[in-house]
Amino acid sequence: MKKNLLIIPSIIFTFVLLTFFYLLVIERNPSELPSNLLNKDIPIFEAENLIKNKKFISTNEFGNEIILVNFFATWCKPCRDEHSYIKQFNNNGIRVIGINYKDDPKKTIQWLEKLGNPYSDIPIDKHGRIAIDWGVYGIPETFLVNSKGIIKFRHVGPMSKKVFKKINLLIKEIK
Amino acid sequence: MKIKKKFITITSIFLVNLFAFNLYGVEPDEILKDQKQEERARIISKNIRCMICQNQSIDESSAPLAKDLRLLIREKIKEGKNNKEIYNFLTERYGDFILLKPPFKLITFLLWLLPFVFLFIGIFLIFSHNKKSKKV
Repeated sequence: MKKNLLIIPSIIFTFVLLTFFYLLVIERNPSELPSNLLNKDIPIFEAENLIKNKKFISTNEFGNEIILVNFFATWCKPCRDEHSYIKQFNNNGIRVIGINYKDDPKKTIQWLEKLGNPYSDIPIDKHGRIAIDWGVYGIPETFLVNSKGIIKFRHVGPMSKKVFKKINLLIKEIK
Repeated sequence: MKIKKKFITITSIFLVNLFAFNLYGVEPDEILKDQKQEERARIISKNIRCMICQNQSIDESSAPLAKDLRLLIREKIKEGKNNKEIYNFLTERYGDFILLKPPFKLITFLLWLLPFVFLFIGIFLIFSHNKKSKKV
């Protein structure tokens, strides 16, 4: 009986140890949090459009095709780093909407003239309220929205080659 | 006399820092005129995690997102929303992680109950071990 009792803590300890080891070994970013909006409808919002003269109304734009939503700003260095990947999505025929987060419109236009504009629309999020509605906590953030207007993927931080490939695979899956 | 002066200086610096720390985060332009509403906002803010710093509440954090959320909470209070509605608004967007105290739910019950389970296992093991030692 005594021996059996001593086995229990050993099993628990080994289990805890193995769990920690597993979490250490698998590739993950512990500071990245899963989006609470995954598999849910996109938040409804309206905003001024930086590159068009009409208002951006989300209900008119989403729900017809696969759309990549990218929260970006000119003051954010990682946004510049991932810009080439965002352009590739546009080149591959994926519609990209760029939400301009707390930025200077003039600077954004200059930035896009210099680096190229992959965005079909640029709603202006002057006070960061659209970002809060999307559960954004770090710029840049990218969301993949399916043709029904449902969020299928979220990536926090600049896009890497690996994430780029992952999103492309997801696009093929949900097409 | 010199020692007394030094003592007063050090104590003053300590006290100033102590109170400055308590006010850290919330900026004067954010504070609501209605004292009761402001108190509510502070209580809610103390329970909301800063998603950037993660181990601080938005009440203490100086991160821009924390400020945005503090302002949003104050706006919701002014609109007449109750605390539950404000917490729901935030958890719908950021998940339960935004709450510094996780709620007791089906998926979090282990988090709350495991410490007690381990405590009882520990007590049981100690008692059974002592019983056997006495017999020997």
